[in-house]
Amino acid sequence: MTRGRRARAAFTDPLLAVAALALLAVAAAALQATVLCWASVGALAGFALSGSV
Amino acid sequence: MPPYTRTALIIVIAAVGAARELGLVAIPLPQNARQIPQEVLRFRLRQGTLQFGFELGTGVRTYVSASTPYVLALGLLLSHQALLPTVLAGTAFGAGRALSAALTLWSRDPDRGATIAARMTWIKNVTATTILAALAALAALLIA
Repeated sequence: MTRGRRARAAFTDPLLAVAALALLAVAAAALQATVLCWASVGALAGFALSGSV
Repeated sequence: MPPYTRTALIIVIAAVGAARELGLVAIPLPQNARQIPQEVLRFRLRQGTLQFGFELGTGVRTYVSASTPYVLALGLLLSHQALLPTVLAGTAFGAGRALSAALTLWSRDPDRGATIAARMTWIKNVTATTILAALAALAALLIA
């Protein structure tokens, strides 16, 4: 696997997206940013349906 | 219903959702478990695309494989959010749904289905437990 392909595979790994969204949701909660927290929860809930058709 | 009761209910629902994803409880999810037929996109592309997006996004005709969309919907309902935060959360839900498809496109990986299948349990567990943690933390901080 080339370096570019490896980088693309890592960048598009679903766990990276989940980790970023999870961090955002927890940070928003810690900052009492209610709207951002609910929006992050929404994004996590949408992403949880990955693979669902 | 008093605010504290509603807040407690939201946390209980999120906890049940997380417990379900972790396999601690078995609760069937209410859903219209069937795929959108290909005919929707075959004849009228523009109208079919809108119909496909509506049916997939709202869960009218799709498989709902995770409990977190129900936690989101019930949480928004019980927390009595204003219109803007509710619309933003709904839009973020759609963006999260689209992100999965976008990552698949960007990955250019012919075995992407296998990658997602291998990660699916982790994705559902992490999303459900994070939502529980975030909502519990938000409730605790707002009440304190």
